[in-house]
Amino acid sequence: MHLALRLASGEIRIGGETLQVSNFLILGAVLFVMGAIGVLIRRNPLVILICIELMLNAVNLTLVAFARQLQNLEGQLFALMTMTVAAAEAVVGLAILVDIFRVRQVDDVDELSDLRG
Amino acid sequence: MGLASLVFWVFAIAAVLGGFGVILFRTPIKNVLSLVLVMLSLAVQFLLLSAQFVFAVQLIVYAGAVMVLFLFVVALLGPSQERAHYRLPWQGFLAAIAVAGFAGFLYSMLKSVPFRQPDPADLSVFGTVQAIGAGLFTSYLYPFELTSIMLLVAAVGAIYLSRREPSAMPPGAAPPPPEVETPEPEPAETRPAGGGRRLSRARQEVKS
Repeated sequence: MHLALRLASGEIRIGGETLQVSNFLILGAVLFVMGAIGVLIRRNPLVILICIELMLNAVNLTLVAFARQLQNLEGQLFALMTMTVAAAEAVVGLAILVDIFRVRQVDDVDELSDLRG
Repeated sequence: MGLASLVFWVFAIAAVLGGFGVILFRTPIKNVLSLVLVMLSLAVQFLLLSAQFVFAVQLIVYAGAVMVLFLFVVALLGPSQERAHYRLPWQGFLAAIAVAGFAGFLYSMLKSVPFRQPDPADLSVFGTVQAIGAGLFTSYLYPFELTSIMLLVAAVGAIYLSRREPSAMPPGAAPPPPEVETPEPEPAETRPAGGGRRLSRARQEVKS
């Protein structure tokens, strides 16, 4: 296989100084896990949407970090696409939320377990 | 410690603190402001990773537009505090177990990630608007155009969902007749009785 992995050290040089890519990846993982905790333990539907945005941002950081390490621009393009999807998701999710709140006050997403309004 | 790692650590700690704020504050307005802090810190990280265009988009689209949207919705819905108890009894416990397992997966994966030798690229133009645009309009033109369709669908869906008039009619009910007064060409006594009753009933439906 001529595409066999030629391993590199995972360092990037920024302004004459070397940083580990792993730092960025771990930061992204920490933020993603925090977003997952928020989705699982919070009950307010608005806060759950906010936590989903947090998770999407963490993934963006990972994509951009890998793009920098591989010196390949596709990761950044993918991050841009993710931002677009996140914006559309926020718009539609908030519209649904406002529509629900127009009918009744909801403090807990578990109250929204029926399909009829 | 050089300047780059100093910037990284300062804004990494800011991002993690913002993440704690997102999941721990009880009032939604503080959650949103914490998320703004996270996004600003991540924008700085993007700049550190020489992704200038993604940095600008993060500031404009995320910290600008999306967060303002969230703030508007928070202001629209009013303050609401979460209750202290869960409806599902061991929800926090289960969430802790699931998230700990997931974090373990992520950690073991990141610890053993093999870094490939980087492609030879010109780092002086890496991540500039020019490079991003060249990629976006040549090899990734098709997903880019699909993105525009998706944004259009999202905009139409949001407008449809948040329109003022709710369609609260019971199923099977006739749609209300238009409000326009139809001119009546004939005098009242020559009109058939059924038509008049139907018309007045329709007017009452309009009024109610």
